[in-house]
Amino acid sequence: MKDELLLKVDNLSVRFAVKRGGGWRKKSYLYAVDDVSFEVERGKTLAIVGESGSGKTTTALAVARLVPAFQGSVDLEGEDFLTLEGDKLRQARAKVQFIFQDPYSSLNPRLRAEAIVREPLDSLGLAEVDEKRAIVDRLFKAVGLRPEQQRLFPHQFSGGQRQRIGIARALATQPELIICDEPVSALDVAVQAQILNLLRRLQEEFSLTYLFISHDLGVVQHMCDSIAVMYMGKIVEQADRLSLFNNPLHPYTVALLSAVPSVDKKRRKATRRVLIPGDPPDPVDPPAGCRFANRCPVAQPRCSESEPPLRDVKGGHRVACHLVDESAKSPMS
Amino acid sequence: MSVEDEKIEKARSPFSEAFEMFRRNHAAVAGLIMLILIILAGIFGPMVYAGDPFEMVWAPFSPPGQEGYLLGTDYLGRDLVSMLLHGARVSIAIGLSAALITVLIGITVGAVAGFYGGLVEEALMRFTEFFQVLPTLLFSMVIVALFGASLPMITFAIGVVSWPAVARITRAEFLRIRELEYVTASRASGVSNGKLIFGVILPNALPPIIVQAALMVGSAILFEAGLSFLGLTDPNVVSWGQIIGSNRQYILDASYTVTIPGVAIFVTVLAISLVGDGLNDALNPKLRQR
Amino acid sequence: MTALLKVENLRIELTTRDGVAPVIDDLSFEMNAGETMSFVGESGCGKSMTALGIMGLLPEKVGRVASGTILFDGEDLTRVSDARMREIRGNDISMIFQEPMTSLNPVYTVGEQIAEVLRRHQGLGQRAAWEKAIALLDAVRIPNPRSRVADYPHQMSGGQRQRVMIAIALACEPKILIADEPTTALDVTVQAQIFDLLRDLGRETGTAIILITHDMGAVAEMAERMIVMYAGRKAEEGPVDQVINHPRHPYTKGLISCVPHLMANLSEERPELTEVGGIVPGLREFGRDACLFASRCDMVNDKCRNARPPEVAFKGNQASACWFAEKV
Repeated sequence: MKDELLLKVDNLSVRFAVKRGGGWRKKSYLYAVDDVSFEVERGKTLAIVGESGSGKTTTALAVARLVPAFQGSVDLEGEDFLTLEGDKLRQARAKVQFIFQDPYSSLNPRLRAEAIVREPLDSLGLAEVDEKRAIVDRLFKAVGLRPEQQRLFPHQFSGGQRQRIGIARALATQPELIICDEPVSALDVAVQAQILNLLRRLQEEFSLTYLFISHDLGVVQHMCDSIAVMYMGKIVEQADRLSLFNNPLHPYTVALLSAVPSVDKKRRKATRRVLIPGDPPDPVDPPAGCRFANRCPVAQPRCSESEPPLRDVKGGHRVACHLVDESAKSPMS
Repeated sequence: MSVEDEKIEKARSPFSEAFEMFRRNHAAVAGLIMLILIILAGIFGPMVYAGDPFEMVWAPFSPPGQEGYLLGTDYLGRDLVSMLLHGARVSIAIGLSAALITVLIGITVGAVAGFYGGLVEEALMRFTEFFQVLPTLLFSMVIVALFGASLPMITFAIGVVSWPAVARITRAEFLRIRELEYVTASRASGVSNGKLIFGVILPNALPPIIVQAALMVGSAILFEAGLSFLGLTDPNVVSWGQIIGSNRQYILDASYTVTIPGVAIFVTVLAISLVGDGLNDALNPKLRQR
Repeated sequence: MTALLKVENLRIELTTRDGVAPVIDDLSFEMNAGETMSFVGESGCGKSMTALGIMGLLPEKVGRVASGTILFDGEDLTRVSDARMREIRGNDISMIFQEPMTSLNPVYTVGEQIAEVLRRHQGLGQRAAWEKAIALLDAVRIPNPRSRVADYPHQMSGGQRQRVMIAIALACEPKILIADEPTTALDVTVQAQIFDLLRDLGRETGTAIILITHDMGAVAEMAERMIVMYAGRKAEEGPVDQVINHPRHPYTKGLISCVPHLMANLSEERPELTEVGGIVPGLREFGRDACLFASRCDMVNDKCRNARPPEVAFKGNQASACWFAEKV
């Protein structure tokens, strides 16, 4: 079972047309996701982290085929999810489910909780009526909701409970892959723990594979097996959990990690706060070289001339930076 | 094994909550009562006054209350009570059916434009704007003049000139709601476009459309009155506007013949507005949270 | 040294559909000049309400200070006239909010908005106020302040807008700056910049800062003392390091351990997070003579359900309102 690939994303790009200056001028394109490739093993969790505008959520939506990809492929158990049509698409949809960020807008306010959870079964035509009822019963129990709550409407639940309903809905079709898009960032801190624990428990129980999108490095550290760091539509660094957190290589990753406030006094002493000045460049017209060059504290002239490729520097630890050499030492140290 | 222990609430639908809000709005309830009375009068009144309202029953211009006729008679000696009751039926029927036409066209155009976006939206919204910039009264007069002043045609004319407002509201709601995560969630579970439009988005877009439709009934009644006043009406059917129109020459000599149907229109439209306002408050989630 | 701000037995009541609820219930604390203090807790625990109470900005007709005093520099803010409060607000005590997107007026340039505050409170002339606005933008580290001063808010990024808010808040060199979740809407790297800025400015100008947040990490980085609020009451108070190392209230303990923190050296181990079950009680429960945390606490017994725990003082100015504070 080990090392079995469930999801393989190759050269995925998503672009949006943007109008500049109004009028009849030529359209320009914003590459929200630019040539991104990654793999997720069955039963594991890959986290994609990045700040706003990094393209992490768009990547997730494109993988689930909820925004059209401009190019690339999403290989799910040997089939390209992006080219499927008709019945095959329906079957594949059942395998990929989504958990949304905002529990207040992700549930249809006009439906009762049971109908929300049942919706994927209904529209994918997956089960008989009696069977569906049993499935919904089971799911409510699995996510820690009481059976009598099935008849309630979304506004009668708290944020954490709503997120549980969203999770139950995602589990309904017995999916292989669940994409979690910032599943706890809209919740109160104390409730976050409940949801994170639930997600981990469910992963074990149903051997789920997660694609976990988040900006919160603490949460990511707790949830993932491997991580991809995105900046302006590109993956800049990718590694397993321990290598990335204990030995970050890309200057952006280093800065990102150092920016996270921590209650751990030891960590606060050990990390030198790396402040990156300014803002990211215009995404519609990205610079020629490394996209981080204008904010990078150790940038050199060649960084703004050619774009560094994402390459393996040490046992699967991949980084896109000119200044990282074979010794796999960060240019920041 | 729920960790979040609260009292179990009753499963109340969003609509029952809205009804609760509506009930607390005294003006709206008063409007609703008035409206119900008017509709009842329109339904049962003509049964009581079963005769032909166009029949001459007494000397012309006998003022209200005298000689046994509650509201007097008009310039042809017709009983105003009978005309008013028969007219209620027609006026309200025109109001309702015109509003229905408005809503049907408006929702279809607005929903398709808002859901699909892009070129479809551009084309449909230009089409809508075309109807919006036409002077409504003039345009409906042209329709009625061309195709004849029958009730269905008048209703149709009113509907055709007033749908753009509904289309715009529907489109705006669709644009907003289609970006919400529960719509994405439905798409992720493979829900078809038709179901998305009518089963997922439309029910959530309804509140402002319902309010608009309610107000539309009132404005359609006014519209019909305006057309009748100008003589563009079915001469064989009595409506409130028609009573005013036919008596307008005598406004100085027998003002009650014009005032009484005028008050009927005023009261009806006011009642509808109050109800519409109440609906607006009740269906507006922001107000509900207070 | 007398305290700059001294709040005593403050009770703020909010009128709701179900009656009157004490959203702040018997709150007392002191704050010295130049100090950074943090209010922590979940939403609905009264952190923001405390700030609004101090600012005299409670929602009109709905909220009011029912009893208690807010002594600022010897003046009781619960008693001063509206005119005096307006003078204090923005001048002596100012505030920045969570949403940098909506707290600036989109139809005026940022320079005009900063200059407006200076003209109103400090009587500066048109020119002088504009020059000072540029200096302030420079102080909050906006590059090219002379050209950016004429920008409209939509031309700036979220982080820059929050800097402008800070510039406005600091324009009159207030004695207290209240920052209500100032970085919640911002990215971590921007948050780091803003925290850095606040810390440096606080040090340079001697402004005391009240930081309202739900992030224990931010508290640890920014504040010297902290108050943990729960359901309108003070659950725990004390020096930040001391409280984090040894919390004396189960709620504080839960808040710290329910969040996965980045640690100095990550290991393979990932223990399950401590859950604080349930949610903050509804306003109807507020003000009951009981520990309001009882329904979510794993140390609970009958005493907790029937009597409000008194504050127990510990060494080093730590205090906790829990019947079992010694045992935590």
